[in-house]
Amino acid sequence: MNKPAEAVRSPASTAPLEIRFGQVGLAQVRIRTTDPGAILDELTGRVATAPHFFERTAVCLDLSALEKEPDVAEVRAVMDAVRRAGMLAVGLAHGTAAVDALARALDVPVLTYFRPQNRPPPVLQPADPQELAVPALMHHTPVRSGQRVYARHRDLVVTSAVGAGAEVIADGCVHVYGAVRGRAVAGARGDVTARVFCQEFYAELVSVAGVFRVFETIPAELAGKPVQAWLSGDDLHVARIGG
Amino acid sequence: MTEIIVVTSGKGGVGKTTTSASLACGIARRGKRVAVLDFDIGLRNLDLIMGCERRVVYDFVNVIQGDCTLKQALIKDKRIETLYVLAASQTRDKDALTQEGVRRVLDELTADGFDYIICDSPAGIEKGAHLAMYFADRAVVVVNPEVSSVRDSDRILGLLASKTHRAEQGNGGVKEHLLLTRYSPKRVASGEMMSVDDVKEILGLDVIGVVPESQDVLTASNAGTPVILNEQSEASQAYEDAVARLLGESKPLRFIEEPKKGFFARMFGG
Repeated sequence: MNKPAEAVRSPASTAPLEIRFGQVGLAQVRIRTTDPGAILDELTGRVATAPHFFERTAVCLDLSALEKEPDVAEVRAVMDAVRRAGMLAVGLAHGTAAVDALARALDVPVLTYFRPQNRPPPVLQPADPQELAVPALMHHTPVRSGQRVYARHRDLVVTSAVGAGAEVIADGCVHVYGAVRGRAVAGARGDVTARVFCQEFYAELVSVAGVFRVFETIPAELAGKPVQAWLSGDDLHVARIGG
Repeated sequence: MTEIIVVTSGKGGVGKTTTSASLACGIARRGKRVAVLDFDIGLRNLDLIMGCERRVVYDFVNVIQGDCTLKQALIKDKRIETLYVLAASQTRDKDALTQEGVRRVLDELTADGFDYIICDSPAGIEKGAHLAMYFADRAVVVVNPEVSSVRDSDRILGLLASKTHRAEQGNGGVKEHLLLTRYSPKRVASGEMMSVDDVKEILGLDVIGVVPESQDVLTASNAGTPVILNEQSEASQAYEDAVARLLGESKPLRFIEEPKKGFFARMFGG
Protein backbone atom coordinates (compact mmCIF):
# COMPACT_ATOMS: atom_id res chain seq x y z
CA MET A 1 0.00 0.00 0.00
CA ASN A 2 1.25 3.43 -0.90
CA LYS A 3 1.45 6.27 1.53
CA PRO A 4 -1.90 7.94 1.93
CA ALA A 5 -2.14 10.79 -0.50
CA GLU A 6 -4.61 12.67 1.56
CA ALA A 7 -6.22 12.19 4.93
CA VAL A 8 -9.58 13.46 6.09
CA ARG A 9 -9.03 13.97 9.76
CA SER A 10 -11.79 14.01 12.27
CA PRO A 11 -11.69 17.06 14.48
CA ALA A 12 -10.98 15.12 17.64
CA SER A 13 -8.47 12.30 17.88
CA THR A 14 -10.95 10.47 20.08
CA ALA A 15 -13.37 9.96 17.18
CA PRO A 16 -14.32 6.30 16.71
CA LEU A 17 -12.73 6.17 13.29
CA GLU A 18 -10.56 7.97 10.84
CA ILE A 19 -11.02 7.90 7.09
CA ARG A 20 -7.92 8.00 4.95
CA PHE A 21 -7.76 8.07 1.18
CA GLY A 22 -4.85 6.66 -0.66
CA GLN A 23 -3.77 4.59 -3.59
CA VAL A 24 -3.21 0.87 -3.59
CA GLY A 25 -1.72 -1.35 -6.22
CA LEU A 26 -4.31 -3.79 -7.50
CA ALA A 27 -3.91 -6.68 -9.88
CA GLN A 28 -6.48 -6.84 -12.59
CA VAL A 29 -7.58 -10.22 -13.89
CA ARG A 30 -9.11 -10.05 -17.28
CA ILE A 31 -11.01 -13.25 -17.95
CA ARG A 32 -11.78 -14.56 -21.40
CA THR A 33 -13.96 -17.39 -20.10
CA THR A 34 -16.33 -17.95 -17.23
CA ASP A 35 -15.30 -21.60 -16.89
CA PRO A 36 -14.21 -21.79 -13.20
CA GLY A 37 -12.09 -24.89 -13.83
CA ALA A 38 -10.01 -23.25 -16.56
CA ILE A 39 -9.58 -20.13 -14.45
CA LEU A 40 -8.53 -22.13 -11.38
CA ASP A 41 -5.96 -24.11 -13.41
CA GLU A 42 -4.43 -21.04 -14.97
CA LEU A 43 -4.30 -19.03 -11.76
CA THR A 44 -2.91 -21.88 -9.70
CA GLY A 45 -0.09 -22.21 -12.21
CA ARG A 46 0.66 -18.50 -12.03
CA VAL A 47 0.50 -18.34 -8.26
CA ALA A 48 2.94 -21.26 -8.05
CA THR A 49 5.56 -19.20 -9.89
CA ALA A 50 5.48 -16.45 -7.26
CA PRO A 51 3.57 -17.67 -4.21
CA HIS A 52 4.57 -14.78 -1.95
CA PHE A 53 3.60 -12.24 -4.47
CA PHE A 54 0.14 -13.60 -5.17
CA GLU A 55 -0.85 -14.96 -1.79
CA ARG A 56 -4.09 -13.35 -0.64
CA THR A 57 -3.48 -10.54 -3.03
CA ALA A 58 -6.46 -8.39 -3.90
CA VAL A 59 -7.56 -8.60 -7.50
CA CYS A 60 -10.17 -6.93 -9.54
CA LEU A 61 -12.06 -8.87 -12.18
CA ASP A 62 -12.24 -7.40 -15.61
CA LEU A 63 -15.16 -8.83 -17.57
CA SER A 64 -14.70 -6.73 -20.66
CA ALA A 65 -12.97 -9.47 -22.68
CA LEU A 66 -15.91 -11.87 -22.37
CA GLU A 67 -17.91 -12.46 -25.49
CA LYS A 68 -21.23 -12.07 -23.73
CA GLU A 69 -22.30 -10.50 -20.48
CA PRO A 70 -22.04 -13.13 -17.71
CA ASP A 71 -24.79 -13.64 -15.17
CA VAL A 72 -24.47 -13.35 -11.39
CA ALA A 73 -24.00 -17.08 -10.80
CA GLU A 74 -21.23 -17.31 -13.36
CA VAL A 75 -19.31 -14.41 -11.84
CA ARG A 76 -19.79 -15.78 -8.35
CA ALA A 77 -18.29 -19.10 -9.53
CA VAL A 78 -15.35 -17.28 -11.07
CA MET A 79 -14.73 -15.35 -7.84
CA ASP A 80 -14.80 -18.66 -5.98
CA ALA A 81 -12.22 -20.13 -8.34
CA VAL A 82 -9.99 -17.10 -7.81
CA ARG A 83 -10.20 -17.50 -4.03
CA ARG A 84 -9.32 -21.18 -4.30
CA ALA A 85 -6.25 -20.24 -6.30
CA GLY A 86 -5.10 -18.15 -3.31
CA MET A 87 -6.14 -14.65 -4.38
CA LEU A 88 -9.10 -12.53 -3.31
CA ALA A 89 -11.41 -10.94 -5.84
CA VAL A 90 -12.48 -7.71 -4.19
CA GLY A 91 -14.40 -6.05 -6.95
CA LEU A 92 -15.24 -5.69 -10.61
CA ALA A 93 -13.47 -3.48 -13.07
CA HIS A 94 -15.52 -0.55 -14.22
CA GLY A 95 -17.31 -1.23 -17.46
CA THR A 96 -20.83 -1.26 -18.79
CA ALA A 97 -24.09 -0.72 -16.95
CA ALA A 98 -24.40 -4.53 -16.81
CA VAL A 99 -21.15 -4.65 -14.78
CA ASP A 100 -22.63 -2.13 -12.35
CA ALA A 101 -25.72 -4.30 -11.93
CA LEU A 102 -23.58 -7.42 -11.37
CA ALA A 103 -21.48 -5.62 -8.76
CA ARG A 104 -24.59 -4.56 -6.92
CA ALA A 105 -26.00 -8.10 -6.98
CA LEU A 106 -22.69 -9.54 -5.72
CA ASP A 107 -22.28 -6.76 -3.17
CA VAL A 108 -18.79 -5.86 -4.37
CA PRO A 109 -17.52 -2.47 -5.46
CA VAL A 110 -16.87 -1.36 -9.02
CA LEU A 111 -13.24 -0.50 -8.70
CA THR A 112 -11.25 0.98 -11.44
CA TYR A 113 -11.92 3.19 -14.32
CA PHE A 114 -9.82 1.28 -16.80
CA ARG A 115 -11.49 1.54 -20.12
CA PRO A 116 -12.56 -1.82 -21.54
CA GLN A 117 -10.15 -2.45 -24.37
CA ASN A 118 -11.64 -5.30 -26.32
CA ARG A 119 -14.89 -3.61 -27.18
CA PRO A 120 -15.28 -1.77 -30.43
CA PRO A 121 -14.87 1.96 -29.80
CA PRO A 122 -18.15 3.81 -29.52
CA VAL A 123 -19.28 5.39 -32.74
CA LEU A 124 -18.77 9.14 -32.47
CA GLN A 125 -21.75 11.21 -33.38
CA PRO A 126 -20.85 14.26 -35.44
CA ALA A 127 -21.07 17.16 -33.05
CA ASP A 128 -23.37 20.07 -33.51
CA PRO A 129 -21.23 22.78 -35.17
CA GLN A 130 -22.48 25.18 -32.51
CA GLU A 131 -20.77 23.03 -29.91
CA LEU A 132 -17.40 22.82 -31.65
CA ALA A 133 -14.71 25.10 -30.29
CA VAL A 134 -14.14 28.19 -32.41
CA PRO A 135 -10.53 27.98 -33.55
CA ALA A 136 -8.30 30.78 -32.30
CA LEU A 137 -6.94 33.36 -34.70
CA MET A 138 -3.28 32.45 -35.20
CA HIS A 139 -0.72 35.15 -35.93
CA HIS A 140 2.84 34.00 -36.56
CA THR A 141 4.68 37.17 -37.54
CA PRO A 142 5.73 40.05 -35.29
CA VAL A 143 2.94 42.55 -34.60
CA ARG A 144 4.78 45.77 -35.34
CA SER A 145 4.29 49.22 -33.91
CA GLY A 146 1.10 50.73 -35.35
CA GLN A 147 -0.37 47.36 -36.35
CA ARG A 148 -3.54 46.02 -34.85
CA VAL A 149 -4.62 42.39 -34.82
CA TYR A 150 -8.19 41.64 -33.80
CA ALA A 151 -9.70 38.20 -33.20
CA ARG A 152 -13.45 38.56 -33.52
CA HIS A 153 -15.59 36.17 -31.44
CA ARG A 154 -12.58 34.09 -30.49
CA ASP A 155 -9.15 33.81 -28.92
CA LEU A 156 -6.02 35.29 -30.39
CA VAL A 157 -2.73 33.39 -30.38
CA VAL A 158 0.39 35.32 -31.35
CA THR A 159 3.58 33.26 -31.64
CA SER A 160 5.82 36.28 -32.07
CA ALA A 161 6.43 39.59 -30.35
CA VAL A 162 4.02 42.52 -30.04
CA GLY A 163 5.91 45.78 -30.48
CA ALA A 164 5.49 49.02 -28.58
CA GLY A 165 2.50 50.89 -29.98
CA ALA A 166 0.99 47.73 -31.46
CA GLU A 167 -2.38 46.34 -30.34
CA VAL A 168 -3.52 42.76 -29.99
CA ILE A 169 -7.22 42.46 -29.32
CA ALA A 170 -9.59 39.50 -28.94
CA ASP A 171 -13.19 38.96 -27.93
CA GLY A 172 -11.84 35.92 -26.10
CA CYS A 173 -8.43 35.45 -24.53
CA VAL A 174 -5.16 36.86 -25.83
CA HIS A 175 -2.14 34.53 -25.77
CA VAL A 176 1.25 35.86 -26.79
CA TYR A 177 4.22 33.51 -26.93
CA GLY A 178 6.75 36.31 -27.12
CA ALA A 179 7.35 39.74 -25.66
CA VAL A 180 4.45 42.17 -25.37
CA ARG A 181 5.55 45.80 -25.46
CA GLY A 182 2.31 47.21 -26.84
CA ARG A 183 -1.30 46.80 -25.77
CA ALA A 184 -3.12 43.57 -25.05
CA VAL A 185 -6.91 43.64 -24.87
CA ALA A 186 -8.97 40.55 -24.00
CA GLY A 187 -12.75 40.32 -23.76
CA ALA A 188 -13.15 43.23 -26.15
CA ARG A 189 -16.91 42.72 -26.27
CA GLY A 190 -17.31 42.37 -22.56
CA ASP A 191 -16.39 38.78 -21.71
CA VAL A 192 -15.30 39.17 -18.09
CA THR A 193 -13.83 35.65 -18.00
CA ALA A 194 -11.35 36.39 -20.79
CA ARG A 195 -7.69 36.67 -19.89
CA VAL A 196 -4.44 37.96 -21.27
CA PHE A 197 -1.45 35.63 -21.20
CA CYS A 198 2.02 36.57 -22.32
CA GLN A 199 5.45 35.06 -22.23
CA GLU A 200 7.48 38.22 -21.64
CA PHE A 201 5.65 41.11 -20.09
CA TYR A 202 6.57 44.69 -20.99
CA ALA A 203 3.06 45.83 -21.95
CA GLU A 204 1.99 49.47 -22.01
CA LEU A 205 -1.61 48.61 -21.37
CA VAL A 206 -3.58 45.51 -20.47
CA SER A 207 -7.36 45.33 -20.56
CA VAL A 208 -10.03 42.74 -19.87
CA ALA A 209 -13.67 43.52 -20.70
CA GLY A 210 -13.01 47.24 -20.67
CA VAL A 211 -11.18 47.35 -17.35
CA PHE A 212 -7.64 48.39 -18.07
CA ARG A 213 -4.34 49.11 -16.46
CA VAL A 214 -1.67 51.35 -17.88
CA PHE A 215 1.92 50.50 -17.03
CA GLU A 216 3.81 53.72 -16.93
CA THR A 217 6.54 51.78 -15.23
CA ILE A 218 6.56 48.03 -15.28
CA PRO A 219 6.74 46.48 -11.82
CA ALA A 220 10.12 44.81 -11.44
CA GLU A 221 8.54 41.50 -10.48
CA LEU A 222 6.60 41.40 -13.77
CA ALA A 223 9.10 42.82 -16.26
CA GLY A 224 10.09 40.23 -18.82
CA LYS A 225 8.24 37.50 -16.94
CA PRO A 226 5.38 35.23 -18.01
CA VAL A 227 2.29 37.05 -16.85
CA GLN A 228 -1.48 36.71 -16.96
CA ALA A 229 -4.19 39.27 -16.40
CA TRP A 230 -7.74 38.54 -15.32
CA LEU A 231 -10.78 40.21 -13.88
CA SER A 232 -11.98 39.56 -10.40
CA GLY A 233 -15.06 41.64 -9.77
CA ASP A 234 -14.13 45.08 -10.99
CA ASP A 235 -10.44 44.60 -10.31
CA LEU A 236 -7.96 43.74 -12.99
CA HIS A 237 -5.26 41.49 -11.60
CA VAL A 238 -1.91 41.18 -13.29
CA ALA A 239 0.43 38.55 -11.93
CA ARG A 240 3.19 36.18 -12.82
CA ILE A 241 2.22 32.77 -14.05
CA GLY A 242 3.62 30.01 -11.90
CA GLY A 243 5.34 32.32 -9.46
CA MET B 1 18.12 39.89 -62.36
CA THR B 2 17.53 43.26 -60.83
CA GLU B 3 17.14 43.59 -57.09
CA ILE B 4 15.38 46.57 -55.61
CA ILE B 5 16.57 47.55 -52.14
CA VAL B 6 14.84 50.25 -50.12
CA VAL B 7 16.77 52.08 -47.42
CA THR B 8 14.22 53.30 -44.91
CA SER B 9 13.74 54.05 -41.20
CA GLY B 10 10.59 55.97 -40.37
CA LYS B 11 12.54 58.43 -38.25
CA GLY B 12 14.52 61.24 -39.82
CA GLY B 13 18.20 61.94 -39.36
CA VAL B 14 19.27 58.39 -38.62
CA GLY B 15 21.48 58.02 -41.68
CA LYS B 16 19.29 56.76 -44.53
CA THR B 17 20.91 58.87 -47.21
CA THR B 18 24.43 58.25 -45.91
CA THR B 19 23.64 54.54 -45.93
CA SER B 20 22.06 54.62 -49.40
CA ALA B 21 25.11 56.38 -50.83
CA SER B 22 27.62 54.09 -49.15
CA LEU B 23 25.78 50.86 -49.97
CA ALA B 24 25.35 51.98 -53.59
CA CYS B 25 29.08 52.81 -53.88
CA GLY B 26 30.10 49.61 -52.13
CA ILE B 27 28.00 47.40 -54.37
CA ALA B 28 28.98 49.28 -57.53
CA ARG B 29 32.67 49.00 -56.62
CA ARG B 30 32.25 45.25 -56.88
CA GLY B 31 31.41 45.64 -60.53
CA LYS B 32 27.62 45.60 -60.25
CA ARG B 33 25.53 48.14 -62.10
CA VAL B 34 23.78 50.22 -59.48
CA ALA B 35 21.24 53.06 -59.64
CA VAL B 36 20.53 54.99 -56.46
CA LEU B 37 17.22 56.90 -56.40
CA ASP B 38 16.29 59.80 -54.13
CA PHE B 39 12.61 59.53 -53.14
CA ASP B 40 12.77 62.55 -50.84
CA ILE B 41 11.02 64.90 -53.22
CA GLY B 42 11.28 68.48 -52.00
CA LEU B 43 14.15 67.75 -49.62
CA ARG B 44 16.76 66.57 -52.05
CA ASN B 45 19.94 65.44 -50.29
CA LEU B 46 21.33 62.37 -51.97
CA ASP B 47 22.96 64.43 -54.73
CA LEU B 48 24.91 66.34 -52.06
CA ILE B 49 26.13 63.22 -50.32
CA MET B 50 27.07 61.73 -53.67
CA GLY B 51 28.81 64.95 -54.68
CA CYS B 52 26.88 65.43 -57.91
CA GLU B 53 24.64 68.35 -56.89
CA ARG B 54 25.98 70.66 -59.56
CA ARG B 55 25.32 68.14 -62.30
CA VAL B 56 21.60 67.71 -61.70
CA VAL B 57 19.72 68.79 -64.78
CA TYR B 58 16.66 66.59 -64.71
CA ASP B 59 15.21 64.79 -61.74
CA PHE B 60 12.87 61.95 -60.75
CA VAL B 61 9.73 64.05 -61.18
CA ASN B 62 10.82 65.19 -64.64
CA VAL B 63 11.15 61.55 -65.68
CA ILE B 64 7.76 60.63 -64.27
CA GLN B 65 6.09 63.56 -65.97
CA GLY B 66 7.79 62.79 -69.27
CA ASP B 67 9.81 66.03 -69.44
CA CYS B 68 12.90 63.97 -70.23
CA THR B 69 14.04 60.40 -70.67
CA LEU B 70 15.40 58.34 -67.81
CA LYS B 71 18.80 58.27 -69.54
CA GLN B 72 18.94 62.04 -69.53
CA ALA B 73 18.14 62.22 -65.83
CA LEU B 74 20.54 59.54 -64.60
CA ILE B 75 23.78 61.09 -63.40
CA LYS B 76 26.82 58.91 -63.93
CA ASP B 77 29.17 58.83 -60.95
CA LYS B 78 32.65 60.17 -61.63
CA ARG B 79 34.43 57.75 -59.32
CA ILE B 80 32.71 54.45 -60.04
CA GLU B 81 31.93 53.42 -63.62
CA THR B 82 28.84 51.36 -62.86
CA LEU B 83 27.08 53.78 -60.49
CA TYR B 84 24.24 56.14 -61.39
CA VAL B 85 22.23 58.64 -59.36
CA LEU B 86 18.66 59.79 -59.95
CA ALA B 87 18.13 62.99 -57.98
CA ALA B 88 14.91 64.10 -56.34
CA SER B 89 13.17 67.31 -57.32
CA GLN B 90 13.73 70.15 -54.90
CA THR B 91 10.89 72.31 -56.13
CA ARG B 92 8.04 69.82 -55.98
CA ASP B 93 6.41 67.91 -53.19
CA LYS B 94 5.85 64.20 -52.69
CA ASP B 95 2.50 64.20 -54.47
CA ALA B 96 4.41 64.57 -57.71
CA LEU B 97 5.36 60.89 -57.40
CA THR B 98 2.80 58.34 -58.52
CA GLN B 99 2.83 54.59 -58.11
CA GLU B 100 2.49 54.15 -61.84
CA GLY B 101 5.33 56.59 -62.52
CA VAL B 102 7.63 54.88 -60.01
CA ARG B 103 6.80 51.49 -61.50
CA ARG B 104 7.70 52.77 -64.99
CA VAL B 105 11.06 54.11 -63.83
CA LEU B 106 11.91 50.89 -61.98
CA ASP B 107 10.82 48.77 -64.95
CA GLU B 108 12.97 50.82 -67.27
CA LEU B 109 16.02 50.49 -65.01
CA THR B 110 15.37 46.75 -64.82
CA ALA B 111 15.09 46.49 -68.60
CA ASP B 112 18.32 48.46 -68.87
CA GLY B 113 20.14 45.70 -67.01
CA PHE B 114 20.85 47.32 -63.65
CA ASP B 115 21.82 44.73 -61.03
CA TYR B 116 20.71 46.77 -58.04
CA ILE B 117 18.36 49.69 -57.53
CA ILE B 118 18.76 51.45 -54.19
CA CYS B 119 15.73 53.51 -53.16
CA ASP B 120 16.59 56.19 -50.62
CA SER B 121 13.36 56.70 -48.69
CA PRO B 122 12.27 59.97 -47.10
CA ALA B 123 11.52 59.98 -43.38
CA GLY B 124 7.96 59.44 -42.25
CA ILE B 125 5.36 56.92 -43.36
CA GLU B 126 3.55 59.01 -45.96
CA LYS B 127 3.43 58.78 -49.69
CA GLY B 128 7.15 59.25 -50.40
CA ALA B 129 8.18 56.56 -47.95
CA HIS B 130 5.37 54.32 -49.14
CA LEU B 131 6.38 54.57 -52.79
CA ALA B 132 10.07 54.08 -51.95
CA MET B 133 9.32 50.74 -50.31
CA TYR B 134 6.37 49.60 -52.41
CA PHE B 135 8.27 47.74 -55.14
CA ALA B 136 11.23 46.66 -53.01
CA ASP B 137 12.57 43.11 -52.88
CA ARG B 138 14.65 43.83 -49.82
CA ALA B 139 14.72 46.51 -47.17
CA VAL B 140 17.57 47.91 -45.14
CA VAL B 141 16.01 49.49 -42.07
CA VAL B 142 18.41 52.05 -40.64
CA VAL B 143 18.09 52.37 -36.91
CA ASN B 144 19.92 54.34 -34.23
CA PRO B 145 20.33 52.65 -30.89
CA GLU B 146 17.75 54.76 -29.12
CA VAL B 147 14.10 54.15 -28.25
CA SER B 148 12.31 56.48 -30.65
CA SER B 149 14.27 55.25 -33.64
CA VAL B 150 13.64 51.64 -32.64
CA ARG B 151 9.93 52.22 -32.33
CA ASP B 152 9.74 54.00 -35.69
CA SER B 153 11.66 51.15 -37.25
CA ASP B 154 9.17 48.71 -35.80
CA ARG B 155 6.42 50.74 -37.44
CA ILE B 156 8.22 50.69 -40.78
CA LEU B 157 8.76 46.94 -40.51
CA GLY B 158 5.02 46.59 -40.04
CA LEU B 159 4.39 48.56 -43.21
CA LEU B 160 7.00 46.55 -45.11
CA ALA B 161 5.16 43.41 -44.08
CA SER B 162 1.77 44.69 -45.24
CA LYS B 163 1.92 47.68 -47.58
CA THR B 164 4.34 46.51 -50.24
CA HIS B 165 3.81 44.87 -53.60
CA ARG B 166 5.51 41.69 -52.43
CA ALA B 167 3.37 41.56 -49.29
CA GLU B 168 0.20 42.09 -51.32
CA GLN B 169 1.22 39.36 -53.78
CA GLY B 170 1.93 37.08 -50.86
CA ASN B 171 5.18 35.79 -52.37
CA GLY B 172 7.32 35.81 -49.28
CA GLY B 173 7.20 39.53 -48.62
CA VAL B 174 10.13 41.92 -48.51
CA LYS B 175 13.35 40.54 -47.02
CA GLU B 176 14.20 42.78 -44.09
CA HIS B 177 17.62 43.71 -42.69
CA LEU B 178 18.59 45.95 -39.81
CA LEU B 179 21.49 48.35 -40.02
CA LEU B 180 22.53 50.18 -36.88
CA THR B 181 24.20 53.54 -37.30
CA ARG B 182 25.73 56.04 -34.89
CA TYR B 183 26.68 53.20 -32.61
CA SER B 184 28.95 54.08 -29.73
CA PRO B 185 30.34 51.01 -27.94
CA LYS B 186 31.60 53.25 -25.17
CA ARG B 187 28.14 54.60 -24.41
CA VAL B 188 26.66 51.13 -24.67
CA ALA B 189 29.21 49.90 -22.13
CA SER B 190 28.27 52.70 -19.75
CA GLY B 191 24.58 51.91 -20.16
CA GLU B 192 23.62 55.14 -21.92
CA MET B 193 22.85 53.53 -25.25
CA MET B 194 20.94 50.44 -26.33
CA SER B 195 23.15 47.56 -27.40
CA VAL B 196 23.02 45.66 -30.69
CA ASP B 197 21.41 42.79 -28.83
CA ASP B 198 18.73 45.04 -27.30
CA VAL B 199 17.76 46.32 -30.73
CA LYS B 200 17.86 42.86 -32.26
CA GLU B 201 15.65 41.50 -29.54
CA ILE B 202 13.04 44.25 -29.71
CA LEU B 203 12.78 44.19 -33.48
CA GLY B 204 13.29 40.45 -33.81
CA LEU B 205 15.55 40.77 -36.83
CA ASP B 206 19.17 40.10 -37.61
CA VAL B 207 21.62 42.91 -38.05
CA ILE B 208 23.35 43.33 -41.39
CA GLY B 209 25.75 45.98 -40.18
CA VAL B 210 26.74 48.19 -37.27
CA VAL B 211 28.24 51.53 -38.24
CA PRO B 212 30.06 53.23 -35.39
CA GLU B 213 29.48 56.88 -34.57
CA SER B 214 32.22 58.70 -36.44
CA GLN B 215 33.32 62.22 -37.28
CA ASP B 216 34.18 60.91 -40.71
CA VAL B 217 30.50 60.64 -41.65
CA LEU B 218 29.88 64.38 -41.35
CA THR B 219 33.16 65.19 -43.05
CA ALA B 220 32.28 62.85 -45.89
CA SER B 221 28.82 64.37 -46.30
CA ASN B 222 30.18 67.87 -46.50
CA ALA B 223 32.79 66.79 -49.01
CA GLY B 224 30.25 64.96 -51.18
CA THR B 225 32.21 61.73 -50.90
CA PRO B 226 30.24 58.77 -49.52
CA VAL B 227 31.96 57.71 -46.32
CA ILE B 228 32.57 54.19 -47.60
CA LEU B 229 35.17 55.66 -49.96
CA ASN B 230 37.26 56.90 -47.03
CA GLU B 231 38.88 53.58 -46.36
CA GLN B 232 40.76 54.73 -43.27
CA SER B 233 37.46 55.23 -41.48
CA GLU B 234 35.85 52.61 -39.30
CA ALA B 235 32.51 53.71 -40.70
CA SER B 236 33.76 52.85 -44.17
CA GLN B 237 34.89 49.40 -43.08
CA ALA B 238 31.57 48.81 -41.34
CA TYR B 239 29.66 49.75 -44.51
CA GLU B 240 31.96 47.55 -46.57
CA ASP B 241 31.09 44.63 -44.25
CA ALA B 242 27.40 45.44 -44.61
CA VAL B 243 27.73 45.39 -48.40
CA ALA B 244 29.43 42.00 -48.19
CA ARG B 245 26.64 40.62 -46.01
CA LEU B 246 24.00 42.13 -48.27
CA LEU B 247 25.58 40.23 -51.15
CA GLY B 248 25.47 37.00 -49.19
CA GLU B 249 28.92 36.80 -47.58
CA SER B 250 29.15 36.12 -43.89
CA LYS B 251 31.33 38.38 -41.77
CA PRO B 252 31.59 38.80 -38.03
CA LEU B 253 30.31 42.11 -36.68
CA ARG B 254 33.06 44.64 -35.95
CA PHE B 255 33.17 47.87 -33.99
CA ILE B 256 30.58 46.75 -31.46
CA GLU B 257 33.00 46.64 -28.57
CA GLU B 258 35.18 49.32 -27.14
CA PRO B 259 38.59 49.16 -28.79
CA LYS B 260 41.35 48.11 -26.46
CA LYS B 261 44.28 49.69 -28.19
CA GLY B 262 47.78 49.05 -26.98
CA PHE B 263 50.39 51.74 -26.51
CA PHE B 264 51.98 51.34 -29.93
CA ALA B 265 48.67 51.22 -31.70
CA ARG B 266 47.77 54.50 -30.06
CA MET B 267 51.11 56.05 -30.96
CA PHE B 268 51.13 54.95 -34.55
CA GLY B 269 47.42 54.96 -35.25
CA GLY B 270 47.43 51.15 -35.79
